Amino acid sequence: MANVMEIYQLLPKTNCKECGKSTCMAFAVDLLARKVKVDDCIPLVNEEKYKDNYEKLSEIIAPVGDVTETGLIVHDDKCIGCGNCVVACPVNVANDPQGAGSGKAPTSDKVIFKVEDGVVKARNVEECRRFGENKILCVACIDTCPTKAIEFV
Amino acid sequence: MGFGQFLSSPEIKLKVVTFRDVFQNTAQESSRFGEDYCKLSAVIKLDPKDIVKLSIKEGETVIVKNKSGKVVVKAEGSESEESHTGIAYMVNSPWSNALVPDETGGSGVPSFKDFEVSVQGAKGERITSLRDIF
Amino acid sequence: MTEYYVCPGCALLCDDIEVEIEDGKVTKVNSACRKGVARMKGCSDPMECTVDDEKTDVDAAITKAADILREAKDPLIFGHGNSSSQAQQLSIDIAKRTGAYLDDTSSFCQGPIIEAILQDKLKTCTLDDIRHKADVIVFWGADPSNSHPRHLSRYSYFPRGNERQRGWEEDRTAIAIDIRKSDTAEICGQSNFYRIPMAADAEFMEALVSALSGKVPKTSFDFDKKKILQLANVLKKAKFGVICVGLGLVYSLDELEPLFILMDKLNEVSSFHLLPMVGQYNMRGFNQNLFDKTGYINRVKFDGEDNSVKHGADFSVIESLRNRSVDAALIIGSDPLSSLPLSVARYLAEIPLITIDPCRNLTATKSTVTIPCALSGVEAGGTAMRMDGVEVELKKVIDTDNLTDEEILRRIKEAI
Repeated sequence: MANVMEIYQLLPKTNCKECGKSTCMAFAVDLLARKVKVDDCIPLVNEEKYKDNYEKLSEIIAPVGDVTETGLIVHDDKCIGCGNCVVACPVNVANDPQGAGSGKAPTSDKVIFKVEDGVVKARNVEECRRFGENKILCVACIDTCPTKAIEFV
Repeated sequence: MGFGQFLSSPEIKLKVVTFRDVFQNTAQESSRFGEDYCKLSAVIKLDPKDIVKLSIKEGETVIVKNKSGKVVVKAEGSESEESHTGIAYMVNSPWSNALVPDETGGSGVPSFKDFEVSVQGAKGERITSLRDIF
Repeated sequence: MTEYYVCPGCALLCDDIEVEIEDGKVTKVNSACRKGVARMKGCSDPMECTVDDEKTDVDAAITKAADILREAKDPLIFGHGNSSSQAQQLSIDIAKRTGAYLDDTSSFCQGPIIEAILQDKLKTCTLDDIRHKADVIVFWGADPSNSHPRHLSRYSYFPRGNERQRGWEEDRTAIAIDIRKSDTAEICGQSNFYRIPMAADAEFMEALVSALSGKVPKTSFDFDKKKILQLANVLKKAKFGVICVGLGLVYSLDELEPLFILMDKLNEVSSFHLLPMVGQYNMRGFNQNLFDKTGYINRVKFDGEDNSVKHGADFSVIESLRNRSVDAALIIGSDPLSSLPLSVARYLAEIPLITIDPCRNLTATKSTVTIPCALSGVEAGGTAMRMDGVEVELKKVIDTDNLTDEEILRRIKEAI
């Protein structure tokens, strides 16, 4: 996973403010959190000299359809649909012990992870242990992923 | 493009281990003749030190050959953090099978996961297509 | 009630698959892995019905196929990994009638392990046993994250089971022994990954047996002795252990003796089972079906005259093609032109060849006769056997105009 400095190094570092942020560093922080898109940096998109950096950055910040409120991202292109996260997620186990928790297709609507068309989809993210008042830094879905297809930003 | 230009590029001997890849396998399910299947199959994964020895860059094509056959595939650095100099990885496919010796020592089982090849840089050379293999 | 189907993508035969259908096509597949979804949605290159590269109807193709097999002196019938058990039974019948060589992909795959299991030389168990009981799981030369993506989530590592209620972190230890850090090894974690040199599996087994016997485990490649002793300790404490044997291990052993010795030792000190990581969805079924009829799991040659059967490496698909001892071939549920060494595959392209498959494959491009069949598990039902020997009924999802593999072979048999 990329860090802020890596992202910053690939930006123009001119603090031109065209993106609406006061500094490139601020932009980098927001980019890491997926609050802005790579394409929001106008010079990076338009100027030939930044072409390489633009491509590299686009690769690092893999396009994601929607970042969930917990910051959970599933990289569809990396996911193999093994369902390890589906079965390992403690919320899935608690809400669907006989289905997802036992290795089978989820039988409850309250699961967070479910494999659809060969790729895992996240829903009910408000149930995620990383969310809400008593949040904890649960990593069950990340640690069990063979292809690093899940990240939290 | 003539063959002569490659004469100066160093040739090294490597052992090849084949492996399975779920993405390549998925491409095979869709079409054995598709571009994806070729792109994900015609690849050899090399240790960074072997890439240096070949004086090539990642992503360039290389000629991989032995007594059994010859293919041109793309050279990639392996993701492995452990060094595996002298050993290269190829996904199990018609491209790797072009190089698997047919001798079985009477066992009826070829060495799919352990065979020797020589590798040489061939920048710009066209990757062997499925049609070329046969 | 949700209707569940069975995925024919690999020998896990996952039976919890949900599908959506639109206009007679499978449009969405849930719960299956990436590879399984691709299999169930079907290929973009369907097989055509041809004789001598000309499109024809299935009757003409079947007649021509029967002619080829009847006229051949020593035909080969090969494939069967992706065929229903019903079709496999008919393959055996046709092989008997035509005095054919008969083999399947296990011949250069998991054959030796399955043979030893069927001959009761190795203790085995079912995938359900693994889910409910296994506490120490060893992946040896196996990378299910790529070959059988749902192996760990459905059975071997992550699910809760009757005697494994507390989750994988507390209840199970997964170990990877391999020559490279595979995706599966990555999940097992650095402390449970044992990286050994190429072709060193037998020696590592010997060292492990020493460690299990309380001796110093020496290896010619100087493997950290402490680490081997630590592994031996984990294996010793297992209540229900399982070794999942991958092709990496099968190919590296010249003979199974070291594995027998290790399993004997493990069962002296704890309880260990062995699971063959079979690839194609019904390879194990073929081995069982042929074993029931002949006492052999693969590599046989029937004598057309007196119905006797010969068995051995000389009758394997590789040797029979390499020695050019066959003069025609029927290929069903496999693509040998892409899976055999090229030099062996080339000979196959020189003889009259019949291919039966739902999809156009490499073998089809060199075939005299190609016949499309229904995709079992999607366009047809049928029976198959999981990697652990449990029989599973495949279910039909959608209709097709193509005949089933069983029906095609039945008609070829009748025409002969």
